[in-house]
Amino acid sequence: MIEICNSADVPEGEIVRFEVDGFPPVALARHEGEIFIFPDKCPHADESLSEGWVEDGRVVCGVHFAEFELGSGDVHNRPAGCPNLSFFSCEDRDGKVFAMLKEGA
Amino acid sequence: MCGTACSGGGQGRPNMKPVYPKAGSYPEFARLVDRENAQVDRRLFSDEAIYQAELQQIFARAWLFLAHESQIPNAGDFLRTSMGEDDVIVVRQRDGSVRAFLNSCPHRGNRVCMVDKGAKSRGFICNYHGWSFGIDGRLRGTDGKVYDTDTAFEKAQITLTPVAQIDSYKGLIFATFDLAAPSLADFLGPFTFYLDVMLDNDEGGTEFVGGAIRSHIDCNWKFPAENFVGDILHAFWSHQSGAKAILGGGVDLGSRYDELAFQASVYGHGFETNLDKVGNTRTLGYPELVDYVFDLSEKAEKRLGSIRARAIGAISSCTVFPNFSFLPGQNTFRVWHPRGPGKIELVVWTLVNRNAPEHIKELYRKGVMMTFSPGGIFEMDDGENWEYSTRVNQGFVTRQQPLHYGLGIDSADPDRELPGHIHKGSLNDANQRLFYTRWSEFMESDNWTDLQNGVTAPPQKNAQAAE
Repeated sequence: MIEICNSADVPEGEIVRFEVDGFPPVALARHEGEIFIFPDKCPHADESLSEGWVEDGRVVCGVHFAEFELGSGDVHNRPAGCPNLSFFSCEDRDGKVFAMLKEGA
Repeated sequence: MCGTACSGGGQGRPNMKPVYPKAGSYPEFARLVDRENAQVDRRLFSDEAIYQAELQQIFARAWLFLAHESQIPNAGDFLRTSMGEDDVIVVRQRDGSVRAFLNSCPHRGNRVCMVDKGAKSRGFICNYHGWSFGIDGRLRGTDGKVYDTDTAFEKAQITLTPVAQIDSYKGLIFATFDLAAPSLADFLGPFTFYLDVMLDNDEGGTEFVGGAIRSHIDCNWKFPAENFVGDILHAFWSHQSGAKAILGGGVDLGSRYDELAFQASVYGHGFETNLDKVGNTRTLGYPELVDYVFDLSEKAEKRLGSIRARAIGAISSCTVFPNFSFLPGQNTFRVWHPRGPGKIELVVWTLVNRNAPEHIKELYRKGVMMTFSPGGIFEMDDGENWEYSTRVNQGFVTRQQPLHYGLGIDSADPDRELPGHIHKGSLNDANQRLFYTRWSEFMESDNWTDLQNGVTAPPQKNAQAAE
């Protein structure tokens, strides 16, 4: 796992974008205390998900309003052809967020 | 598309800044209103070139009514309306302000909003290529797979076209496409004195109740606008049978007509009333509403003074130039959207005091439906008149004949302590003459200095009048 950011950098209900050397940009969101990490790229049309927002436990893409459940990644209000969102596994260790990123994700 | 350094490859980039049209000057159209002889040329109601000039000179410059604040209370709440023939989205922002945009995608022009109204919108997505706009009008994104690979694409400068200015007066939101237009307060001038009869007769303000009723009438937009600006005369003939059906008697302007009734005009906006307290309210057919207005009138005297307190439910009507009208007492508010020289789209709402009891609000809603909706007892009378007043001008010879606006030529009452141009008696063509004079000023003038200082401008000595 690699270190992404400080845990405090991800406030409740927000989506924050981070760039990690060697990987495409990632987005982090916190919902009910728990941190989620996923590619900052909507699986529908590649628009940035960190430009969107969190609503009722879902990441909402700010462009075409696809909604992805934090946790399962299941898509709602799906534009035609939009797949589910996938997440990287991550851990919050002593105030630092670590994640298992994948190349080319 | 190419700049001076163009080498044939098309290096210029789209300049997507909003374009607000410039006014011209059409003295030949302005002269069709003959103020000297109190007559109007019928080409105003039939000519396509004049209609196009109206869209440029009037509807692209004047402050136009968009919505009541109560229709869009929360962030993302929106409605679709028109300014002239321009389709417009009005949407509440997260900071509580209201913005309005042309309902047209800057990419290929398609509508981005298809519905009349909605709540808590996240934004507006064009159906054609998926361009997506926030409630602030800015382009949020398109298709990252395509556009993000195009380094020349400049997303940041692309927005839905905003109106040039937007503002509100006591709950009513207006906008203009003219950056040079004076403030809404200056555009209305001392006419707000009369608007307050409806908008400020009770603490707590007003709201629209129920939805909107939309209909089409095959008439020129100016016939209904001039009817509401100052034509109570027609009620004695057109509405006599309807009045008898509801009231058990005909239209009656009361024994104090000579003493009380007047017409007032400021910048072409007009208000006429007989100050009988409840004549309009009575026509809705509910005695409870009449009691409510009598009671309201008594309480409102402190806020508005005795003249305006008497006007709340009186036999009266009003138009804010060019195409926003209402009837005090009957509480129907409406816009006559132009749809060509011979057609309008009419949208009607019912205004009530926010603090009125619920059953009173409901009676107003029902009463307006029964009188001033497409199936309403009075609206049907009016619609047919306006349709034939318009249609006959297809006749080549017919439209050469002038129309008579000569009632009450010698009725000016400059000494009455009320704002604006005051004429004695509400049975008068005075406000209609000033409405068409204002129309003429808009056709003639390409600048607001002239527009705000012409014949229709309020006389100075009355401008500050209050009770």
